[in-house]
Amino acid sequence: MKKILAFALAFVMVFSLVACGSGEQQPATKGENAGDASQPLAVCVGSEPDTIDPALNSAVDGATLLVHLFSGLAKWKQDDAGKFEIVPDAAKELVEGVANEDGTVTYTYTLRDGLKWSDGQPLKASDFVFAWNRAASAELGADYGYMFEIVDGYEEISEADDDGKPVNPDAKLNVEAPDDSTIVVTISNAVSYWNELLAFPVYFPVREDVVSNESWATDPATYVCNGAYTLDSWEHNSLITLKKNENFVDAAEITMDTIEFYLSDDANNQLSNFKNGTWQLIDDVPTNEIANLKTTYPDEFKITGQIGTYYVCWNVNEDILPAGSTLTGEEAEAARAEIRNAIALLFDRNYIVEEIGQAGQVPASSFVAMGMTNPDGTEFYKTAGDSKDFDGYYDVSKEAIEKNYDSAVETLKKYYKFDETSKKFTDFPTMTYLYNTSEGHKAIGEYLQSALSNIGITMNLENQEWATFLQTRKNGDYSIARNGWLADYNDPICFLDMWTTASGNNDVQFGKGDHAKVTGYSLDLTPYGLDTKVENGTWAETYDVLIAAIKACTDNETRYELMHYAEDILMSTGCIVPLYFYTDIYMISKDVDGFFSNPLGYKFFMYTTVK
Amino acid sequence: MNSKTLFYIIKRIGLAILTVWVVITITFFVMHAIPGGPFVGEKAISASAQAALESKYGLDKPLMEQYGTYLKDIITRFDFGPSLKQRGRMVTDIIADGMKTSVKLGVISAFSALIVGVVLGSVAALRRNKLIDKIIMVFTTAFVSMPSFIIGSLMLALFSVKLQWLPANGTTSAGLILPIITLSLYPMAYITRLTRSSMLDVLGQDYIRTAKAKGVSAGKIIFGHALKNSLIPVITYFGPMLAYIVTGSLVVEQIYAVPGIGRAFVSSITNRDYPMVMGTTIVLAALIVVMNLISDILYKVVDPRINLE
Repeated sequence: MKKILAFALAFVMVFSLVACGSGEQQPATKGENAGDASQPLAVCVGSEPDTIDPALNSAVDGATLLVHLFSGLAKWKQDDAGKFEIVPDAAKELVEGVANEDGTVTYTYTLRDGLKWSDGQPLKASDFVFAWNRAASAELGADYGYMFEIVDGYEEISEADDDGKPVNPDAKLNVEAPDDSTIVVTISNAVSYWNELLAFPVYFPVREDVVSNESWATDPATYVCNGAYTLDSWEHNSLITLKKNENFVDAAEITMDTIEFYLSDDANNQLSNFKNGTWQLIDDVPTNEIANLKTTYPDEFKITGQIGTYYVCWNVNEDILPAGSTLTGEEAEAARAEIRNAIALLFDRNYIVEEIGQAGQVPASSFVAMGMTNPDGTEFYKTAGDSKDFDGYYDVSKEAIEKNYDSAVETLKKYYKFDETSKKFTDFPTMTYLYNTSEGHKAIGEYLQSALSNIGITMNLENQEWATFLQTRKNGDYSIARNGWLADYNDPICFLDMWTTASGNNDVQFGKGDHAKVTGYSLDLTPYGLDTKVENGTWAETYDVLIAAIKACTDNETRYELMHYAEDILMSTGCIVPLYFYTDIYMISKDVDGFFSNPLGYKFFMYTTVK
Repeated sequence: MNSKTLFYIIKRIGLAILTVWVVITITFFVMHAIPGGPFVGEKAISASAQAALESKYGLDKPLMEQYGTYLKDIITRFDFGPSLKQRGRMVTDIIADGMKTSVKLGVISAFSALIVGVVLGSVAALRRNKLIDKIIMVFTTAFVSMPSFIIGSLMLALFSVKLQWLPANGTTSAGLILPIITLSLYPMAYITRLTRSSMLDVLGQDYIRTAKAKGVSAGKIIFGHALKNSLIPVITYFGPMLAYIVTGSLVVEQIYAVPGIGRAFVSSITNRDYPMVMGTTIVLAALIVVMNLISDILYKVVDPRINLE
């Protein structure tokens, strides 16, 4: 009796609140209009985007919106076999470049006929020229401004004095529009990823009169685009609705009329909305639900490749030699490199991906991520390193764990005191592992900590809030830290040029501080037809020179050989300890056909139909 | 209103302004002191771009100068400046957007809590130690002790995933029902307990006994005398509670994906979006200060015995 009363009371309380709550109640949508062609697709790929200006965006969810709103010279396509290709979009064809005498390459594109902006005005070649110069300018300060690095003239634009003021404020990219439908662009040297860049949002066109209003990209009324959809409405922090653009030249191919992008960054909330049928695609699920979802939603839970590497980075200037070590300079650095590489062998990457990550990640033994391909189509990571027995720089198979462990201990014994009874090292300096606050990173940190404590190495864990963490890591105020890198385009250089001395992403601090004077690196480019040969050089004299040589290299085969060479030097330092290659997980309703997601994580909904 | 009351109100308003100024000053300098910056991202931008952005938003100026400019803009133009992260949007607009939802959510929750709380509290007091009183007390104790993220997650799992009666995202009006219930449970339970104890106290007073002895009807005693006087503590609680609900709904906003001010506030700190941090802090601080002020003044109106000095 008491129980019944209690329940009755609870219901009265709850519903009295509901009654005062809201007038316009609507039942939860549950796909009642199944089969209706005009039924919108409801998805969630992230929270409120910081911007949907193609030049300013640097987020994957923003890029997903942008590939629906804009049409660049090229676009991503998935063929029937599931293979990705870059095909012409606004351009009639993706022409071959013409090599110039100075090594630069010039491309002449012709725009398709009848291209229009969403407000009906004709799209001109000069709109591309304007958009590219705008995106590359220091004045705009776009995160992805450097994506124009390959275009001739970018160097002059980005050149800055010590105060960061541009040296050539009037510099422009070498791109021109001789008439309304022709774009002539010159790039510094031939690269295989050029067509892919043309499909990258930062290369999408914008119109000068539209973007002269600084708030143009925040309001549907001022948002003029040229892609498959128009921005129909934007309820900030809640919902972005895209409607098919009738002025789009390929409008007939677009099967989905309306896409609703719900904005949420809470994985539990996303999952609830997916489970009750309100949303047909979600891009995030709670990590602790993954194992469960794999079995309860076998057809909906998807894992796809993503080009990125989760790794641990050392501060190259952190002294990890035992107190009282007499080694100095190159010898000390060589010893540290050997120690770091030995420690890299102590981690069981299979445990990390299977027990902690749980999202189909692949154990990594090299830095350049899975998904990057050599000119012959083979995986770059499979041809990394010298070994014939395994891929990459060490054997990360389950069978090799014991062997790796023994070899690591043997190496470490050369430098540290080993207590044979406890099987532990006694004089390894205490370190601190820095990571950004997150349960997943913490779990990995704790695993690394336990693996090291097995052999007597004490590693404390320290977590910092994201923005603080980024600053600390960039400044090199750490000894060992969590790190990760996602590719911007399918070319290994985006994993390699970040480690040059002056790079803003050089978290390891190569060539900085004490490491600037360490002359322990060699570089021999004579086998590649270049007359560079350095022995016992500094990081700047070797690695930086090699990256410059790669960027200037016009022969694709040689270029890839040089990139493997660069990764060899990088990995020899032991400062990069790859743990796994990222994957992208999402859930999609079985009722949705025609969806695809590319290796950069962009989701394409324009060709979908809902059953 | 006598001159003493007026003087008191003016003094309180002055204090309120001073409080907000102190909040502005502390937030401004603490915010700039924490590591990281609005243009430090995972992928580094070039030095020239960094410099261009800093000069565009005045971040290259000395801190004291920035502080001065900031205060001047607020006082003279009520201008919080542009967001550094959501390029092209003004902080005032972003806050207005968020406040629209948060205030709606907060006000409905607060009044639901008030009405239900007072009714349940009165019922419990009048039926003291009866079954209904015990049931109400058990539930209110439970709601007072359960954190909102647990109640929120449970209700989400039950009403929108299992039963599918209500949407899980707070973007529509129907979607606000669950957040409103979640937000109002705690204050509702608190008000119930407050009303109950206060009512019991009042019911034991001499004037109630006198009224009873004079033969005044039970209804008149309760509504005419007891209820009014037992609401004084509720009123003092209500003002700060409303501010607390509007400003503190972050967890609930997160669980139900409600586009309120709480999420904007937290993400602005993570992003080091300085003008956003300042803007939201000022608005929320002002809200709390004003609510406290109103409840203090109301207090005086309801109970003339209270001496404001």
